[in-house]
Amino acid sequence: MTIHRVIRKVQRFQGWFGGGAALCLMVGLYLGLIGSPPDYYQGEVVRIMYIHVPLAHTSLLGYTVLALGSLWYLWKRDPIVDNMCQAVAALTAVFTALALGTGMIWGKPTWDTWWTWDARLTSFTVLLLILIGYLMLRTFVDDPEKEARYGAILAIVGFVDLPIIHFSVEWWRTLHQPQSISMRGVSISSGLLVPLLFMSVGMSLLFSYMLMVRTQLLYLDRLLHAKKGRLLSQFHLSKSDS
Amino acid sequence: MTSFNVIRWIVWKDFVTELRSRETISSMVFFALIVILIFSFSFSMDQQAAREVIAGIMWVAFAFTGIIGLGKSFSTELQNDCLEALQMVPEAKGAIYLGKVAANFAFMFVVEILLFPMFVILFNLEVVEEISLLLLIFLLATVGLSAIGTLFSALTVQIRAREVMLPILLLPLVVPVMIAAVEATKGALNGDPLALYGQWLELLAVYDVVFTVVSFWMFELVMDS
Repeated sequence: MTIHRVIRKVQRFQGWFGGGAALCLMVGLYLGLIGSPPDYYQGEVVRIMYIHVPLAHTSLLGYTVLALGSLWYLWKRDPIVDNMCQAVAALTAVFTALALGTGMIWGKPTWDTWWTWDARLTSFTVLLLILIGYLMLRTFVDDPEKEARYGAILAIVGFVDLPIIHFSVEWWRTLHQPQSISMRGVSISSGLLVPLLFMSVGMSLLFSYMLMVRTQLLYLDRLLHAKKGRLLSQFHLSKSDS
Repeated sequence: MTSFNVIRWIVWKDFVTELRSRETISSMVFFALIVILIFSFSFSMDQQAAREVIAGIMWVAFAFTGIIGLGKSFSTELQNDCLEALQMVPEAKGAIYLGKVAANFAFMFVVEILLFPMFVILFNLEVVEEISLLLLIFLLATVGLSAIGTLFSALTVQIRAREVMLPILLLPLVVPVMIAAVEATKGALNGDPLALYGQWLELLAVYDVVFTVVSFWMFELVMDS
């Protein structure tokens, strides 16, 4: 049995992504936690932004990869692309949940509430719901080809929906009641920007690295199942012969 | 058969089935009545408070009943392998989609029209002037719900746990419809000038166009066997 050439290539390069992620995150964390001054308005609380913002960016990146991968799957019908989609969906769900969680931790001291129906919070929650729906849908389909196809359909429809959801939620918040708490007017100084940049790059690299490992895992799992099925059928055939 | 005939026959078939069994619309109306009753028990409201929340209650009731209708739309096709027969129709699958959307839209819209007087009576609303605007809001929102709902009805009917998965997949995706419908309905019931909530109608129209096109395109992939 031959290993897919994409997997071979991934195996050769994934170490660079993992190492790069570790390096960027270490530099970013050092600069963010120790090397940078506390924010004039927010104090030490601002430091969670170095985790929160990269997580949020990476989740949006992840969903874009999921939608593009789904289109690619529907076009080429290559099972390995579907393994990638499944891996990226689970990872994006985790990153989105972490982004929401860190956002809530930041919101408690800053806005004095864990939760508010802020436009961005609301659209990220809906994004998380769509991703969980995607993962649930996949567990409820028996045929692997159908599972991949239905997942891809949901991912693409959701991707088209996301900007509309975001605009509707934003209008809803601004029209419904004047936004009492807003992040506007808070511009980023360069002292905060450098660690943020390192963390963003590091988080994207970490995401890519985890995506590569997980895609391989799902791919090998599929190979294993196929092999098991073949062996079992051979076994039954040889038993019925004797 | 041309594609147009496919659309016509699907709508005709769904209407005749409904006229003979009277299952879908009656269960939708009855379920919605229960939802309205539960809501009126849960909030004891004076008329001022009712104005604030009535649009939300209305659209929660409409969305939940809509999901019942949408679910039945394809689950009835499972009997006697009718779904396979639909998959074998030689015309483009998009025609089946449009027929089903039209039938689902009609059922949901009829239910909404039947229920609306109940809201007016139970919550003491005054709606004489805004009735045409409200009808437009109902129309636009129901097109959006049935356009994307029909796609996911066809999708979930072919998987396990379909009764659970339809609302789980559908409700997050129709968040814009719900927000826009509630806000526009609230504006119309309060008698606000159209300029204040006209953009919600535009959003509904955009949503309808986008998701009719996307679902029309995706439906072919859902129906592949």
